[in-house]
Amino acid sequence: MEATDIALRLQNVSKTFKIYDKNYQTIKDRLFNFYKTNRSREIQAVKNVSFEIRKGECIGLIGRNGSGKSTLTKIMSGSFVPDKNGIVERNGTHMLLNLGVGFSHELTARENIYVNGSTLGLRISQIDEIFDQIIAYAELEDFVDTKIKYFSSGMVQRLSFSIAIYAQADILFLDEIFAVGDEKFRDKATKTLENNWLKGRTVIIVSHSADLIRKYCDKTILMQKGEMIFFGDSEEALELYKQSYS
Amino acid sequence: MTPAELSIQSNRWERIWLLAKIEFKLRYYENKLGLLWALLKPISEMLIFYVAFEYLLGMKIPNYVCYIYLGIITWNFFVESSTGMIPILNTKKYLYEYSNISKFEIYIAHLLSIGIGFSFNLVIFAVYFILTGNAFSINLLFYPIILVNLFLLGLGIAMILSTVYLIAKDINQIWAIVMAMGFWLSPILFKAEELRAKLPLIDYFNPVSGLIINSRKVLMEGVQPDFTLMLINLLQASILMLVGGLLVRKIGVKASELL
Repeated sequence: MEATDIALRLQNVSKTFKIYDKNYQTIKDRLFNFYKTNRSREIQAVKNVSFEIRKGECIGLIGRNGSGKSTLTKIMSGSFVPDKNGIVERNGTHMLLNLGVGFSHELTARENIYVNGSTLGLRISQIDEIFDQIIAYAELEDFVDTKIKYFSSGMVQRLSFSIAIYAQADILFLDEIFAVGDEKFRDKATKTLENNWLKGRTVIIVSHSADLIRKYCDKTILMQKGEMIFFGDSEEALELYKQSYS
Repeated sequence: MTPAELSIQSNRWERIWLLAKIEFKLRYYENKLGLLWALLKPISEMLIFYVAFEYLLGMKIPNYVCYIYLGIITWNFFVESSTGMIPILNTKKYLYEYSNISKFEIYIAHLLSIGIGFSFNLVIFAVYFILTGNAFSINLLFYPIILVNLFLLGLGIAMILSTVYLIAKDINQIWAIVMAMGFWLSPILFKAEELRAKLPLIDYFNPVSGLIINSRKVLMEGVQPDFTLMLINLLQASILMLVGGLLVRKIGVKASELL
């Protein structure tokens, strides 16, 4: 496989969190308690994960709650730094799409669209061109200059999804994007996905929905207790996932 | 590098300016008094100090209104850029956590937004200075160097404090005490000579002090800046920038996990 074909490469990626008995957050706490022992324990949320995702592939990421899905997604998207010796290589811009993340709730829908678009590499003039389409797709015509903090969770999700539709990110992480929202918008979003939107994009879908994974993902990663126990055919991964429940 | 990555780099300054404008709007337009507040604050401070020091204490400094106003707005820029940016990695988490934006862009944008307010204050200063029968000299051309120095100093301190905030949330309160002391250890209300007489090396230890002294020299007195002081201030700001940059790279990179 040529290096230029790779969109995302993880090599020996682990993530360990150090949990202290007492969480000193201030200088005062540290000064007044410096003589006291503060025991710590380590929790390995992700254990030695390695894989490669090629450009244009749509990969599913499944696992039970606490299996390390979210931590792994945050490592892949650059939000978390892996432990020493772990390597994460991203070939392109990326966007992690989750309910309301990447938005400032103090900003209006308009401002959030411009900020988001700009962080994804769009010029202001390019955002001007697609602005109305983003608003129309999200069905937020009457709330363009309303602050996000007054939006319902469904409205926020519609805006997130709409930005993703028009964004030019090379790698997209879709984390439970269909978890909320009304049925009408879910249908609309599903139609968009079916309408070749995923084609040519590198997408990682994090979901508990077997239907979604089966329908769109070429391959799937199954996480269990921080370990990647399977990476391959989505049907097989879903079967193993089902077995882990029984 | 992919086309989208190239685009991220090429639209960097457009994005920084967009973020600075939005931040400025949030800071001032959300307030009932709006932009007026940005101007009223230093003017009201100046009036209070003017009455106290000129009338009550009989301070005999020529052009005292301009003298304290320039000192106050320079000091306020430093306070806003240092104190105001301590929680920036928390308040702007939405910008760096889920996309490709560099943390340095966030710092620069925030500082620029403070700079917009500062520039309004500078205009007020210039208008009043000219209306009261004064004129700027050619040495005004040195002022951009002082401004860049002030910007770098604010940026360096902001990067240091905001990363310390990740592991010590009470840095806010500690820094407030430092700032309260710093105000009286800077030649804002007094002559630099008076401060120097009591604390001989204060100009060299307090980086804002030199910036205020040199601002007055080039803007009000029409003379050349104290080049030794200017060089020392630039060196101080560069060291703080270097330390701040290293801290952001070492600790700031873990901001998502620590907050």
